[in-house]
Amino acid sequence: MTEQYLPLMQLCDSNFPTGAFSHSYGLETYIQEGQIIDRQSFTQWLTAFLNEQLIYTDGLACKIAFIALEQDDLDTLWDLDHKLTVQNLPSETREGTQKIGQGMAKLVQSLYDIPVLTTYLDRIKKKQSFGHPSIVFTIVGHHLNISSYSTTLYYLYSTCSSLIQNAVRAIPLGQTDGQKTIQQFHDELQKATEIIQHLDVEDFGIVSPGLEIAQMKHEHVNIRIFMS
Amino acid sequence: MSEWTGLLRLSVEDRNGKTVPKRVYFEGALKVMRPIYLSASGQACYYLLNPGGGYLDGDRYRMEITAEKQARLTLTTQSATKVYKTPRNHVLQEAEFHLKEGSYLEYLPDPLIAYEQARFTQKTVVRMDRTSTLFYSDILTPGWSPEDRNFSYEQLRLITEIYVDDELAVFDHIKLEPAHQKMDSLGSMEGYTHLGSILAVRENITEKFVNQLYQEVADSEIDCRIGISRLPMGGFSVRVLANQTQVVERIIERCHHFVCNEWFQTKPSFLRKY
Repeated sequence: MTEQYLPLMQLCDSNFPTGAFSHSYGLETYIQEGQIIDRQSFTQWLTAFLNEQLIYTDGLACKIAFIALEQDDLDTLWDLDHKLTVQNLPSETREGTQKIGQGMAKLVQSLYDIPVLTTYLDRIKKKQSFGHPSIVFTIVGHHLNISSYSTTLYYLYSTCSSLIQNAVRAIPLGQTDGQKTIQQFHDELQKATEIIQHLDVEDFGIVSPGLEIAQMKHEHVNIRIFMS
Repeated sequence: MSEWTGLLRLSVEDRNGKTVPKRVYFEGALKVMRPIYLSASGQACYYLLNPGGGYLDGDRYRMEITAEKQARLTLTTQSATKVYKTPRNHVLQEAEFHLKEGSYLEYLPDPLIAYEQARFTQKTVVRMDRTSTLFYSDILTPGWSPEDRNFSYEQLRLITEIYVDDELAVFDHIKLEPAHQKMDSLGSMEGYTHLGSILAVRENITEKFVNQLYQEVADSEIDCRIGISRLPMGGFSVRVLANQTQVVERIIERCHHFVCNEWFQTKPSFLRKY
């Protein structure tokens, strides 16, 4: 095995403090409305979130960022950071993602010495870039000589597994149901990563109206345990 | 022969407080009449006309609209835009809006109705000065189909890019493809058939302003879902899911009235359709 998976798994670990556990990306709106009440309804939401939003935004961004890093085309990387932020219309989700991206960049900076990451952090400090977790994650994957495909797959896994753990706490679901959902998504994540391989720049940023409205409505959810 | 089924180039300018045409050019199946002044404000209103009566297979439309310094422009359609079956090639509608210093453009088209097997792509690029204001809306609705299916169209794709002082400030990409999506599912259209959107861009829009707008419209209609949020660089976006055109129209109208009153202390005129 030539690829170094363990270091990337460290970033996917639920103990890796990125702040992802404070964000539900609209899930909490549905929970408060009584629309998501169990594993089945949650799975329906997570499937839509993965296939109708995540693959066209963060997922496709992993692929585009990886190619840019291979070609040392940093302008594309910074454009992508900008586009990922301005296409995210719900403000809580946008700002939450930015916070996670910045936190992740700082933490990774203390673990690795990657020149591109140092530049990225510098741009964030100067407000030239926003900071996005998919870009930070891909920078690490690329640095560790992991393939574009695996980097994307691991990124999607880490996002979805955080959301599943958030669902376990918030709906709540039993721990066993949580683990069953993670297992069920192994195939879904592989399929999603396959789909991303066939997408191109033209497909970037497609969003799904229902998901987006729930993310916007979260601003007005009264009792909340998540910031988005 | 032009590569466009319909082409419109329109620029308007301010002349002593009144917005007047500077340049008007159209060809093919897209045209405008003389501007109408609905109030004493001097704001010009143009009705976009599609003499063809609907968009057909492979049709390509392009609009280039410029509001010069301080110009105030309303653009609307005369009636709904109907997209019919597109067996060979999708219909394309391109629009480019330029908003110069201090100008205001409101784009309030009637709904787009997508019939059975219709494929439609809309690409809109807005280039605006930091000091200008944009109010841009869209309504997507499914057309009647013989089998009475709600989503018989093939694909609707809307891409909107808004640049403020040459920096991308908003990127919006909607793609509805009923045969490949679970339209009724949580997160998708959620049992609704109609989708409305607003993108409003203006400097210094506060969280408080957006919250007030939300309070104004949140419970104004039943049988719909409304989301409103602040944009990253000044402005707000609105998304509406509903089952009736009128519901989406009323929500957009409420938002429009609210911003006109807050921003310009004006009350928008009723847009008569003939």
